[in-house]
Amino acid sequence: MPRFVSLALPCVVVMGAAAFSMAVASDPLPPDLSYRPLPTMPFSAIRANDEAQKPAVMERQRNLLNDRYDLANRPIPGVMMSGGRKPVQQGVRVKLPAGETWDSLAAKSPEEIRQNGLLPKGFMPLPHVKQAAGGQVFPENQIGKIGRDEGRDLRRFDVDFDLPDQMTPEFPPPIFLTTHPELGDVSHGDVLTIKNFYEYMVGILTPVQLEGLRLLLTPFPQEEFNQTEDRKVAMQSTGVACLDCHANFHTNAAFHQTPDVRPQASRFRLDTTSLRGLFNQQIHGSKRSLRSVEDFSEFEQRTAYFNGDHMSATRKGVNLPDRPNQVAMMAQMQNIIDFPPAPKLDPLNRLDPTKASEQELKGEQVFMGKGRCAECHIPALSFMDNNMHDLKLERFYKIGQTFNDMVAIPDGPIKTFTLRGIKDSPPYLHDGRLMTLADTVEFFNLVLGTKLNQEEKDALVAYMLTL
Amino acid sequence: MRAAAITLGLALLPAHAFAQFGNPAFMAPDTKMEKPGVPAPNQTNNTDRLFAQLLAAGGMAEVDLGKLAADKTDHDGVKNFANRMVQDHSKANDLLKSIAEKSKIPLPGELDADHQKMRADLEKLNGTEFDLAYLSGQIVDHQKTVQLLSWQIGSGQDAELQHFAADQLPIVLDHLQMALTLRAELAGQATAEPAKAQ
Repeated sequence: MPRFVSLALPCVVVMGAAAFSMAVASDPLPPDLSYRPLPTMPFSAIRANDEAQKPAVMERQRNLLNDRYDLANRPIPGVMMSGGRKPVQQGVRVKLPAGETWDSLAAKSPEEIRQNGLLPKGFMPLPHVKQAAGGQVFPENQIGKIGRDEGRDLRRFDVDFDLPDQMTPEFPPPIFLTTHPELGDVSHGDVLTIKNFYEYMVGILTPVQLEGLRLLLTPFPQEEFNQTEDRKVAMQSTGVACLDCHANFHTNAAFHQTPDVRPQASRFRLDTTSLRGLFNQQIHGSKRSLRSVEDFSEFEQRTAYFNGDHMSATRKGVNLPDRPNQVAMMAQMQNIIDFPPAPKLDPLNRLDPTKASEQELKGEQVFMGKGRCAECHIPALSFMDNNMHDLKLERFYKIGQTFNDMVAIPDGPIKTFTLRGIKDSPPYLHDGRLMTLADTVEFFNLVLGTKLNQEEKDALVAYMLTL
Repeated sequence: MRAAAITLGLALLPAHAFAQFGNPAFMAPDTKMEKPGVPAPNQTNNTDRLFAQLLAAGGMAEVDLGKLAADKTDHDGVKNFANRMVQDHSKANDLLKSIAEKSKIPLPGELDADHQKMRADLEKLNGTEFDLAYLSGQIVDHQKTVQLLSWQIGSGQDAELQHFAADQLPIVLDHLQMALTLRAELAGQATAEPAKAQ
């Protein structure tokens, strides 16, 4: 007994000292850096201010886009997206800094480009149309369709969609099922909504898949679309559905901000990713590397819907799908969405030389070799590697610059996206900062220092159009 | 004369000066508007006022500790860094003070408790021990300042303060990178290459 006491006493003293030293820790940063603050004004006043600001907000974003890109409608003759509804845009659209060519730029070191501010602005992170407010912004075609079919309003009073229609995916996008390759596109040439899905899909899907689809089309409260005074839609809203952004399981280029970064000014823009080929994708979310589509489907109710702020979600009405039932069904539905057909690819996603052109074959060679594309975009793995990589673009620009209220900090590691069906999903990169495939070739040529010549660049674009 | 001074003042403003907007969801309810949706100059919200006070406290400490370090250290790199802190933060502090006066934000007049303690701790150290402790403190302070500046850019309402924050942010990130590189050098750590100090 005395021995026990003598051992215990020093422990108490040590613990006491540790507790004391922890108690003098300094003041934390203000909570509003992490948590969404509560509104400070009545809804009517916020709305009046937002509506008054809107023209200037849109003009500012238009100026930024026109400063960075050539957004003209110049399609590649004869090349359409998989549904045959929209042509694919051609050429490099990122504008060069004065006096530079793509070759002169590629010949410079990252330091030289950074010191002289020569990185094309279109290669920099792309701000949200209104960075300070952020949130989901839908393109006109989606707003119109959901308004007509469901009487649900996806239009914000503070901002509009900012990219011209030709720079976004075809609408509606076709739907291909892994369970029925023989059927081809099963979309009826329409956008799936809560009103039409049963009519279109019963008899093709299983009961479990149908229930998953119903849940993916059911609106739930979201940060900007809800019933509280803290919303950006005129009338009280029942919310948004998963497929409001991932239209027909593809993307309509609706955008948002990453839920994974704070404060608000540092959050990068997120271009909606396609859900095609999800069955082969082992990690989910640009930044979070969630390990299953079940995890992702479940947690999106707090991330895509509420910016990763579970406090705000709780106040506005979070939907928590039941994991063993609802989440599983949502996941099973997503997991049967196939890539569009790529008739020139063999079963392991290499070009069939009897079908591909000489230029496309040359492009594949560059892709596999000098261009270093296949080091991450591995053909047999659906052009992914199920990893995240840090391109360290900040080697080329001075960090901490502010563009339209967005602070450009390094992107850090980002998930490798698939390139199957890539011609169907402009704009490119996680934030949609690149408008065309030719832009992506120039971007990676600079970032990876591969020094491709024009013939190799053109071949790469031709190759990517076959995927 | 006054008109000339105003014209000159406008000419000196950076090109982006009129490109920014307050965040209307988090405006102070008593904000006076220049026109609908655009706050009049020097109209502040809660973020502006807290930001200015926290940044002024941090800036004052940078100068104070920078003078202490420039005096105490034997290391050339640390001395250069400390002198740069005194120089850059004195300039920023003056600028912040002039905006705060216009916007009627009271700023602190003396070192806060955290930095008084930091100063007292540093005074007891010498040599490499001092350098490492000084730089470690600088790293945390600059990490916090980076986040505060970003917060002001996104959530402030006073356009002049927002521009101040946007102009300071790349400078403070430079300081942070310098401190990280120096501390790693002194402690024999590996450094993060990409955004190394200018």
